[in-house]
Amino acid sequence: MKKIGVFVCHCGVNIKDTVDVEKLTEQLAIYPGVTYIENYMFMCSDPGQNMIKKAIKEKKLDGIVVAACSPTLHESTFQNAVEEIGLNKYQLEVANIREQCSWVHNNIQEATRKADLIIKTAIEKLKLNESLKPVSAPLTKRVMVIGGGIAGIQAALDIADGGYEVVLVEKKPSIGGHMIQLSETFPTLDCSQCILTPKMVQLGKNKKVTLYVNSEVESIDGFMGNFKIKIKRKPQYVDPDICTMCGDCTDVCPVVVHSEYDEGLSWRRAIYVPFPQAIPASFTIDTENCLGFEPIACGECKKVCQAEAINYDVKTEFFEEEIGAVIIATGFDLYPVENIAEYGYGKYPDVLNGLQFERILSATGPTGGEMLRPSDGKVPKEIVFIQCSGSRDPERHKSYCSRICCMYTLKHAKLYKHKVHDGQPYIFYIDIRSGGKRYEEFIQQAVSEEGIVYIRGKVAKVYKKGDKMIVHGMDTLTGKKVEIEADLVVLAQSIVPSEGVEKLIKTLKLSSDDSGFLMEAHPKLRPLESLQSGFYLAGAAQGPKDIPDSVSQASGAAAKILALMSKDEIQHEPIIAVVDENMCSGCGICIGTCPYGARILDENKVAIVNDILCEGCGACISACPSGAAQQKNLTDDQINNMIRVILS
Amino acid sequence: MKLPYYPGCTLKANARHFEKSAIQAMEKLDFQLVEMKDWVCCGTVFSMTSDDLMLQLASVRNLLRAEKQNLKELIVLCSMCYNTLKRANDFIVKDKGNLEKVNNFMYKENLTYSGKIEIYHLLSILKDRIGFSVIAEKVKKKLSALKIGAYYGCLLVRPEELAIDNFEDPSIFEDLISTLGGESLDFAYKLECCGAYQTVTKKDVSVKRVYEILNSARESGCEAIVTSCPLCAYNLDFLQKDVEEEYLDFNRIPVFYFTELMAVALGCGWDKNWSSLHFTDPEPLLREKGLI
Amino acid sequence: MKAFEPKIVCFLCKWCTYAGADLAGTSRMKYPPNGVVIKTLCSSRIDPEHIMLAFQQGCDGVFIGGCHPGDCHYQSGNYKTQRRIVLLKKMLKQLGINPERLRLEWISASEGNKFANTMIDFTEQIKTLGPVPKTSGKEDK
Repeated sequence: MKKIGVFVCHCGVNIKDTVDVEKLTEQLAIYPGVTYIENYMFMCSDPGQNMIKKAIKEKKLDGIVVAACSPTLHESTFQNAVEEIGLNKYQLEVANIREQCSWVHNNIQEATRKADLIIKTAIEKLKLNESLKPVSAPLTKRVMVIGGGIAGIQAALDIADGGYEVVLVEKKPSIGGHMIQLSETFPTLDCSQCILTPKMVQLGKNKKVTLYVNSEVESIDGFMGNFKIKIKRKPQYVDPDICTMCGDCTDVCPVVVHSEYDEGLSWRRAIYVPFPQAIPASFTIDTENCLGFEPIACGECKKVCQAEAINYDVKTEFFEEEIGAVIIATGFDLYPVENIAEYGYGKYPDVLNGLQFERILSATGPTGGEMLRPSDGKVPKEIVFIQCSGSRDPERHKSYCSRICCMYTLKHAKLYKHKVHDGQPYIFYIDIRSGGKRYEEFIQQAVSEEGIVYIRGKVAKVYKKGDKMIVHGMDTLTGKKVEIEADLVVLAQSIVPSEGVEKLIKTLKLSSDDSGFLMEAHPKLRPLESLQSGFYLAGAAQGPKDIPDSVSQASGAAAKILALMSKDEIQHEPIIAVVDENMCSGCGICIGTCPYGARILDENKVAIVNDILCEGCGACISACPSGAAQQKNLTDDQINNMIRVILS
Repeated sequence: MKLPYYPGCTLKANARHFEKSAIQAMEKLDFQLVEMKDWVCCGTVFSMTSDDLMLQLASVRNLLRAEKQNLKELIVLCSMCYNTLKRANDFIVKDKGNLEKVNNFMYKENLTYSGKIEIYHLLSILKDRIGFSVIAEKVKKKLSALKIGAYYGCLLVRPEELAIDNFEDPSIFEDLISTLGGESLDFAYKLECCGAYQTVTKKDVSVKRVYEILNSARESGCEAIVTSCPLCAYNLDFLQKDVEEEYLDFNRIPVFYFTELMAVALGCGWDKNWSSLHFTDPEPLLREKGLI
Repeated sequence: MKAFEPKIVCFLCKWCTYAGADLAGTSRMKYPPNGVVIKTLCSSRIDPEHIMLAFQQGCDGVFIGGCHPGDCHYQSGNYKTQRRIVLLKKMLKQLGINPERLRLEWISASEGNKFANTMIDFTEQIKTLGPVPKTSGKEDK
């Protein structure tokens, strides 16, 4: 049996005034298991700690109970003290007789009785405590970032800056994400491409960064610190190292399709550069639209390529990367406007979504930055912007607020005014949400100086009359119906998780919220981490976010990873679940209760615990019907003994 | 094949041509519309009362009688009757408590309703059971050259759970018109309310609505309007007299029941008596287009 | 005769309710000393068997404190607890133990007053209910 030493603290008068420490010492001295007991004015002081150390040495104690303040305050102090003398820190228990006893009770007799019980529960628990070591595993110092938008780029650059290798996986032919499509950014109205392209170039040139474009994650093996991730790279048929970007190939290509970069407002060929500043800077062949080269149906591009960069024989390749941690930065897409039939998107060319309008505003866009509407190329004199198009509509569309639409719609209206001085923008809104730095000022300035008309209410429908788009809405402040004859309608669609992220979540076994955004480990305290160890979140993949927030989260996630990488191995608390393999029936109930995927059925049908993934909540233990699962240092026996002593 | 149908009051009064043309057109499609026996008013006027049980009773009484006659379904022509009957049916089928309440209320009639009658609008039957492609094959006189605006009104597609088509962007009427060879034109007010019962107490409201609806159809190039609701048909057609007095730029436009156009297209011809039931006589238009 | 002083076992999750109880202490709130605390990492660690054992051993009331819905440190542990407690209460009734002797509350780390008030209220409630009925069987282990 353990030789236990009990040390009762007076905490000056804080404990001593309500708890009779002398009586307590007397009573507990004869409690089974207690070989040594002492009380002192301040156990946390140096003399107090030395008293414990001395007793361990002299009395050969192998378990310590300190009855003092809450363990939140000084548990680690006492743990360090006992470790100094060679006792495992899990052989120390703190009995909380201040916050949960002397401070909340008045009657000395009652408080002493309760303190006695509190200390006895600590003794009972300690009797069965094991000496534990932190769980540790080796760590691969290499990071994967999935998604090459602003969040992914920022995270990759920060990690590379920290000195670790980064593998960036992007499903499109170039990095840049949605930010590269934007014209100007709110609230400063600085050019989006001007601030993004230097970062893209920096990333493209960074020796620590391996870039996989046209690629997706195929499968994953292993766990935090030691993932093996398989990447599937679709061929682009043009070798980026050889391609000189002369553009001869695109001139001869006979295929014309909608440009993704211009959101369908312009055209591109089947061999194309996604956009002028693309990284990697290279042409690429879009096999879905190419006339085909198996067998070669056209082959014109290859004939004219003097650099001989085009090779039709390239196949889909698979790469395996060893990775320590992963950042998911898969971003967003816009809610399909086709889902809102009454706004006439797809039916009328002059109903646009926000990204399309960005392209019209952009100097690199289909109109070269001139404000012209798609149907007939006229300058729109009246524009209606519809906010919350699909957002905050729990009955039919998305229930959440998409966060960025208030600001970018106003930015659209402003930029429009700057281009068409006599134009009139109208904005339909539900509420204006401008909770960012200098956002409210941005709004106020526009309303007072730029003549933008805000109408509070929703739009019922949009239809065409002659060459005008008639917008029917309701002004809920006056209670009147509003009808506006507009030249152009711009819809601020809800932000939804990017296409394909659902599949990625399944592949990586992550969790998402009910809207499909990636779920953070804790909504307030762990917003950068996924629930699953080793995965971190950045940008709009976690929820609608503007650029500053995406960048902050990306840098934050990168900092988390740098902290992780700074150690030689990964370690964490050993207070985790453990399984008695002989008792486990392999029913698998625990697997469903574990939010971390730490319980797995092995080949012998034993539900084992992955020590690295287990966080120690204990949900699986209380769910285990056979009692095979136990929590280290909080076993059923320990809890039961504590219950018995309380009720004795 | 026989289809049991529920006519409702208007089909026996000022919408007689709706019923007649439907029966004729359906015969051409080898379906016989058989009127259910012993029916009563669907109770639609009570839909304005606040007692939600009260307004269901007339409908439930019809459902009870249909069940007693061993009918499995009821086909309805009038949008309003369709909406009222279907809503009452859902009310008691989806909530057993409501069913019990209704059954208790009707204890004197000594009937219990099992909730197994299905309510269909004739348009759904045309689309889903017969199929527009089948109808297209039987068209004798294509309505080509006739530009028609499909007017849904409110009750055919609202509320969402009773709608016979997508409630924000329906196309069933347009599809039928194309099936019959006509040209259907989109117009903005096709889903707006016609003014409905306001016509009794606040006629000016309805007159304004009718003007807006018909004018928007005219502006889109429509030469005629087609509907499935006797109340809409009444407002849109007979209020044209008042609209004319109020708005100088107004031009009359004929309002058809969709079954009338079906009858014409399927080769039943035009019954002279139908003209007298319209305010704006559609006969000249049909003649002009060479359809009769 | 001495007044009835109920014996109460309190299971508190480390992240929310235990911290809430500490706050009640630092704020010097007062509540009856009947409840003695067993700290767990999460309320979902508490096995219904523990609660049954407590009642069998003559416990008059069992209190469980967890994080508010959506705040669980382990994502969904409190929901699991909630479900278990609902079922367990049904079972207690069948066994002749008043289900009100078992109480589950969501108390956050900032709700010291809620913790103190709950302790006052629960102790009062158990006092009204009287001692737990004696069971005939002995310990299960």
